[in-house]
Amino acid sequence: MQSSMLFTIATLAYLAAMVFYISFLSFKKDIIGKTATIVTLSGFVIQTVALFVRWRESYQMDIGRVPLSNLYESLVFFTWSTVLIYLIVEYKYKTKIFGAFVLPVVFLALAFINVAGISTDITPLVPALKSNWLFYHVLISFLGYAAFGVAFSVCIIYLLNDMEDRGSPVNLIVALGLIAGLATLGYMMGAAGGNMRRVFWYGLGSLFLAWVVYLTVAGARNRTQVYLFWSLCVTLAVGLLVAMGVDFVLFKNVATQESFRKHMFESTFLNQSVGVRLVSWVAVAALFTLVWTQGLKLKTLFKQYTLSSDMLEEITYKMIAVGWPLLTAGIITGAVWANSAWGTYWGWDPKETWSLITWFIYAIYLHARYVRGWKGTQMAVIACLGFLSVIFTYLGVNLVLSGLHSYGGMN
Amino acid sequence: MPGGQVLENQKGLVEIISEKIWKFLSSVKLAVVLLIILAIVSVIGTLIAQNEAPEQYLREYSQATVNLFETLGFFDMYHTWWFVFLLFLLTANLTVCTLDRFPHTWKIITAPLKPLGDEGLKALPFKKEITFKGGTDKAEERAAKALAAHGYRFIESREGGTAQLITQKGVYSRFGVYITHISILLVFTGALIGAFFGFKAFLNLPEGEASKFVYLRNEPMWDRIMATLGIAASPVIQNTQGGVPAMPLGYYVRCDNFDVDYYLDAMGMPTGMPSEYHSTLSIFDLEGQKIFDKRIRVNDPLTHHGVTFYQSSYGAVPDRAGKVILKIVLKNNPSEGETITLDPGQAQYVRSIDRTIRVLNFAPYGVRDPATRQVAFYHTDNNEFINPTVELGVYQGQKQVFSTFVMKHEAGEPVMPENYIIRFVGVWGARYTGLQVTKDPGVWVVYTGFILLCIGPLIAFFGSHKKLWVRIQDHKGQAMITVAGSANRNRIGFEREFNAVVDDISK
Repeated sequence: MQSSMLFTIATLAYLAAMVFYISFLSFKKDIIGKTATIVTLSGFVIQTVALFVRWRESYQMDIGRVPLSNLYESLVFFTWSTVLIYLIVEYKYKTKIFGAFVLPVVFLALAFINVAGISTDITPLVPALKSNWLFYHVLISFLGYAAFGVAFSVCIIYLLNDMEDRGSPVNLIVALGLIAGLATLGYMMGAAGGNMRRVFWYGLGSLFLAWVVYLTVAGARNRTQVYLFWSLCVTLAVGLLVAMGVDFVLFKNVATQESFRKHMFESTFLNQSVGVRLVSWVAVAALFTLVWTQGLKLKTLFKQYTLSSDMLEEITYKMIAVGWPLLTAGIITGAVWANSAWGTYWGWDPKETWSLITWFIYAIYLHARYVRGWKGTQMAVIACLGFLSVIFTYLGVNLVLSGLHSYGGMN
Repeated sequence: MPGGQVLENQKGLVEIISEKIWKFLSSVKLAVVLLIILAIVSVIGTLIAQNEAPEQYLREYSQATVNLFETLGFFDMYHTWWFVFLLFLLTANLTVCTLDRFPHTWKIITAPLKPLGDEGLKALPFKKEITFKGGTDKAEERAAKALAAHGYRFIESREGGTAQLITQKGVYSRFGVYITHISILLVFTGALIGAFFGFKAFLNLPEGEASKFVYLRNEPMWDRIMATLGIAASPVIQNTQGGVPAMPLGYYVRCDNFDVDYYLDAMGMPTGMPSEYHSTLSIFDLEGQKIFDKRIRVNDPLTHHGVTFYQSSYGAVPDRAGKVILKIVLKNNPSEGETITLDPGQAQYVRSIDRTIRVLNFAPYGVRDPATRQVAFYHTDNNEFINPTVELGVYQGQKQVFSTFVMKHEAGEPVMPENYIIRFVGVWGARYTGLQVTKDPGVWVVYTGFILLCIGPLIAFFGSHKKLWVRIQDHKGQAMITVAGSANRNRIGFEREFNAVVDDISK
């Protein structure tokens, strides 16, 4: 059987598993939970077989390379690792509740590949990538990313579980006002051209960073801000995914990876028509409002599952304790590989640097518990920030910044 | 004691300050703050392109911004004094933390296991009391068995009617954090050794040429310091023709051959997408004696006397056409043949077939239509030799017998009307191989650091120092068993193990 067929079956299995996990969350029937696990497990086995079949196919095509080297394959492998890590967590902690959060992410990523028409061709490798290190480097890095992904899902639940009230609606109104104001400012400065656009993004980045630093330092005292942060994280994750999905669907037939990068968000936030842009932002505001107002209701749902904050924190910590050594090993294998290819184990190229930044953030997380007064909430904020950095390292650097990893390879 | 008090007060200023510095450098808070700062400033260097040409920067930023960034060192941020200083502070922090804490950890590691009294047992996070009906001897036997079953080797202590079995597991895990920290120090040390005693250079070597120099991107710091201090002259030659400082190798490196392989399409023809670059390099000593040769390719370099040559790029040598190499074999005796080398435009007499062959035309990319046998020439970027092709004229005396095309990858038969075949072997001397050359004596220190950095966190996060005490007291003919224990990590896992041990004893 062909690998593509097997991948499709696995995707469908994950879709079914997602439905089962969500029904389990709502109906709390043991049999549903068990089915969910079995379906996930079989999807995972099929996906594993598919990966090996694809590997063999590449040999039949005389290209002979590990199926880990383009955007399609890395996305598939990311979902594979995430399911693996999730299954381990489910087994170790005897809880199926996270499935309702992890499986949708997995299914969406796979569905995204299918609708997006990302090229599934087995393409030959440029000489720089022909190394055994490629396999270890990518494998280890992605397992690490997956562990961080699960940590992120869990700490998002933690933050929610940690909330007592969301504060007065003034918070929401101020936040919406800020979003509207910053978006308008962004368009204005963007229209002003080159440097102004840059200034805007740097300013926005600094502002966000300052807020996160404030949350980590004073988060425990100001829970309503943390709730806003939580709402923003959820809105960002969902919003970006949907916006990119819309892009992909609309550009499906014309887009190569290169042109997709150039036209990102042109069907929504960067559309020619002011009307479409306005609608997009109204949708963002609506999503944010929805998350902010309904978030606590989700919490009551969790209440039935007696999820203790301690346990959520423990899982987050464990996942990061798994992910961080993997990230370390991923960076190291990359460095050793670079040294065998170019004679430089560290070159400060943007991807390297961003993986180091991610490494710093999780190192901060791991040390923060020894600093007096830093408790669960701040730690969770750092863990969320870490995952945002992971996403940027993985996608952002390839799409936004340039360097060796965009596979220019040689001078 | 009053005397002590006086001494305390007389602590010198130096002592107070050094104590303050020590305390500052040994805090985890400093580590966290440094990591935050490093994470934030590292972002800057990824947003501003590093080490670009000044014109490029002026195109992107205003003069004032360029000046500001220049002053702050943002264009080569990771090598500015302040970034290096941050790394230095982190190093100092790590070192002092290790020195500050390790003695305490060592004490825990080496501390002999001692029986605990009521107070001590009560203070432990996990404890359980069991009443055992079979008497103390039986209880002890049972406890010993349970501990052994869980892999605990214990020591016994007896005091009056009380026996205690004391045991621990995973002491080594206390080393994990130190291994991790030391490995980072090793990586920094290795990087420093590399910067002081190593260099990075390049060498563009045309096919057939040799060089005893490589051209430096950066000079070894040690040589520069020694030269500046007037202690030893730097081996680096500053006044070269191209103006780039050169480092003598102490031997010759020659490029015997360079070639690019391309992925082939379904017809077996090259697609133009390179699958491999490779060069054959020979090393000669200064007397011209050949030492060895090696075919290098990307990801597989050559090393001699601590200097490594990496395949990095390639290109055309300006104004050089290169030599065409052909092989002529007789149709009835294909195993033997004559190889000739000639310049484009040049003719040469070939004795074995009594013909003169002239190279009429050369193109780096020729395509033959398999059906019509027509050959078309194409131009390529960077003078890529995707399918080098020559047009040959074959003469008997002054009279042309026929003309034909031969190429590296043949599609369809070349025209060979007489009783011999002319084969294309290669074009040689028209291109150079671009070599990245490095010497890095610190790399093994870095690699040792890398290995430890992979092991350290595993030990730190997944090991756990677990201790167990089992106290057995006689209580009116029955045995009172107290099980108590602690673990420094993975408490949940330990709790499970603890409960299992308790179950085994009481069942």
